[in-house]
Amino acid sequence: MTEFIRANKRQLTWALYLAAAVALLLFVGDQLAGKKAARIVQTLISGLLVGGVYGLVALGIVVINKASGVFNFAHGWMMVVGGMIFWSFFTVSEISIPGALLLSAATMLMVMTTASYKALLQRRNLLTALGGSLLLCLLMTIGGSDWQWLHALTGTAAGAVLTGLAVERFAIRPLIGQPLFTAVLMTLAVAEVLHGITQIVWGTVELNLPIFVDPATNSRFKPIRLDAFREALGGIAIIRVELVIAFVLAILAFIGFILFFRYTSVGLAMRATSEDQQLAQAVGLRVRVILAITWAAAAFLASIAGVLQGGAVGLSLNISFVALRVFPAVLLGGLESVSGALVGGIIIGIVEQFGTLINSSEQAGTNLAPYVVLMLVLVIRPDGLFGEKRIERI
Amino acid sequence: MKKLFTLLALLTLVTGGALSLAQDMVEYPSDMTECQVDLTGETFSIYHFGDLSGPNAFITQPIVAAVTDAVNFWNSRGGVCGAELAQVYEDTGGNLEATQSTYDRFTSEYGDDLDILLLYSSNDGELLREQLAEDEIVSVIAAGSIESLYGEDGQTPGWLFASNPLYINQFGFFCQFVAASPEIFPDPVIGFVTWPGAFGLAGTEPAAAEYCAGLGVEVLPNPQIFLPTDSDILTQVQNAIDEGANILYTNSLATGPALIAGTLVDLGMEDDIKLGGVNWVMDTSVGLLGQRVLRPNGLPSVDGMFGGMPFLWWTELQHPAIQFVTQQFTANQRSPVEQNIAYLLSWGMVDAIIETVIRSVNTVGSLDAMTGADAKAVIESMDYAVLGGLLQQHFAEGMRDATHNRMAVMKFANATLTGPATGPEDALLMPDGSGGQLYVPLVVPLTDFMPVPQLRG
Repeated sequence: MTEFIRANKRQLTWALYLAAAVALLLFVGDQLAGKKAARIVQTLISGLLVGGVYGLVALGIVVINKASGVFNFAHGWMMVVGGMIFWSFFTVSEISIPGALLLSAATMLMVMTTASYKALLQRRNLLTALGGSLLLCLLMTIGGSDWQWLHALTGTAAGAVLTGLAVERFAIRPLIGQPLFTAVLMTLAVAEVLHGITQIVWGTVELNLPIFVDPATNSRFKPIRLDAFREALGGIAIIRVELVIAFVLAILAFIGFILFFRYTSVGLAMRATSEDQQLAQAVGLRVRVILAITWAAAAFLASIAGVLQGGAVGLSLNISFVALRVFPAVLLGGLESVSGALVGGIIIGIVEQFGTLINSSEQAGTNLAPYVVLMLVLVIRPDGLFGEKRIERI
Repeated sequence: MKKLFTLLALLTLVTGGALSLAQDMVEYPSDMTECQVDLTGETFSIYHFGDLSGPNAFITQPIVAAVTDAVNFWNSRGGVCGAELAQVYEDTGGNLEATQSTYDRFTSEYGDDLDILLLYSSNDGELLREQLAEDEIVSVIAAGSIESLYGEDGQTPGWLFASNPLYINQFGFFCQFVAASPEIFPDPVIGFVTWPGAFGLAGTEPAAAEYCAGLGVEVLPNPQIFLPTDSDILTQVQNAIDEGANILYTNSLATGPALIAGTLVDLGMEDDIKLGGVNWVMDTSVGLLGQRVLRPNGLPSVDGMFGGMPFLWWTELQHPAIQFVTQQFTANQRSPVEQNIAYLLSWGMVDAIIETVIRSVNTVGSLDAMTGADAKAVIESMDYAVLGGLLQQHFAEGMRDATHNRMAVMKFANATLTGPATGPEDALLMPDGSGGQLYVPLVVPLTDFMPVPQLRG
């Protein structure tokens, strides 16, 4: 018997996992058997849409990891900062011109000095910084409150780029060449710094961000009701418009980043940098600049996610916890996989919702189900569903 | 229903009276004990810590504002018996490890001066219950779980004294109201849709369900739990409805009740399913956040939501306590979002702490000689109208929570400020600063203050 187990260890292990997966599926099937079709369809819709936002958050974490190997624990707070900046521009009827100018100038200064502070010694760069600052400031302040979307989008983009570049410049760049774990710990410190800044600048009181508002009724868009399927489903299912918008934006962001990584020189350089920073530098790639762009892009993605989440439930410091809920999605999809982030996000979203449908009392949906699925997947594919298999040659 | 309209009519008088309030300075409303000891040259600090930046920050942050305003007010009139009033506070972010380390730091750093501690979280209360007793520190807390106030057996009064009724008692009181209002709640079945944790799940104990069943109100056994970060809780709400609930009850704050109410509107069930909750749902933040979704009649989704209101509310401007706090709020240029439960209650808790200190010092002779045990003895013997009636403090016979409550309903003011609006046409709409408009939330009392049932076993 012992000999048999030893000889067939691998097969037996797989058989065990398979049995566990089948048992889990049977359990879930049994639990769902008594539910109306409308509830199952509704759960699937909710999971898919919520999962899209999870995917967007996961994408930001993956982008950083893909380029630098750093797992960014500050991503949740980047979401909060981005959302708050958007709120500041979106809800204030008169934007402070000195404030907008300061934000524009700081952003342009950071952009122009990405490679080196010496860049400012060149007249052309100085003029570009000045022109860019004025243009950004103009876009942030032009017109009245009817232009709030332009103000908010420009302000948020500038704020996100500034945040990302500042984090990279002052927290991550000094650690180049140091153990990766040091940089990961640094992101924890950055999270606390951003937490503190958020509290000082915006306070801790919940803020209303009315972006998903129907101008005709001055309230949130009415959900789409699937009345045509009421009889077939045995009940009503609805689709919340703001979640659909968030989902569509998430998909667009994914497509954009997949194309960016595959077809642009900067995207290709990012992939090369993620493989080996020293080798990338040796072939002439400007690793510092690439890392800076990566952090700026991740902060921008975080800002989009923060705005969408804030628009859906209100802007509060709680938004930072969404990033924690997304960690299983990141690991499930694969730490370096852009498409994996989306698939992981959607799977976790759906699993959460079905877990809640089956047993909401014990928080099975949020506390248990995603991690059970994650464990099962990681046991079978340790690098995640779409992660790259690393082979270390000695 | 008749009662409802009568009380709404009362509100009309109340808010109408408010408009005619004179602009003169309102006297401090509390009938405080006179100082028999001069404390000039000394400093008395109000120590407090809690979640000022975590999940509950949006409701607790105004506590700091209120304590700051109260401290400044007292110092502007010569302090407490001549002693300067100060505050020492720390943000724990809703993190229990931070709570423990902050408590350790406070006790080691402030030692003998720390006799009274202001807390505002059930979780913190449960964590520190035994330590407070061991260190002989009295805590005045704006929360109420059984374990924090009465221990695991529910029978052992500790060193924490709550400003509200126990949450389980509040739920029992809600059941009383439901049972007494069959015209509003026919064939009542209550389902919990609530946050997790000591606060969220308070009231889901079997004793509460048994009590309600005795009144003819069924309570579903499985609470539906959601997190403050959830953006979609259709599944939880539908679970409760599928199990037969026609009333949803929640122990959640700000976004929580607003999300449930919005989901009911999304499902088109806002008239079929009633919504109620613990006293914290009757907050300005809920009234504002509940405006994201409008009911078919054009009013915010939380219009008509029921909740406990164990103290006076901002709209009860005929009362000197509310007149005084409102005046201080305005004078200190606080923002509208700070005009919430926590700001109001904190003025009351500071008043209660000062009264406790005065009585203790009158007995023992000096601030230095005062101990936590002295403060506890004073609080246990007090029958005190906090801030002249904002709430009643009566902790005799081993009570550690408030014994009275009243039911209220959230409504929105009409344009003439004479009562609740019936629709957007007659509603008072204020500009929100970004081109939109805001309804003005009102909390309308539906009952008098009445004893709550004691359900802690």
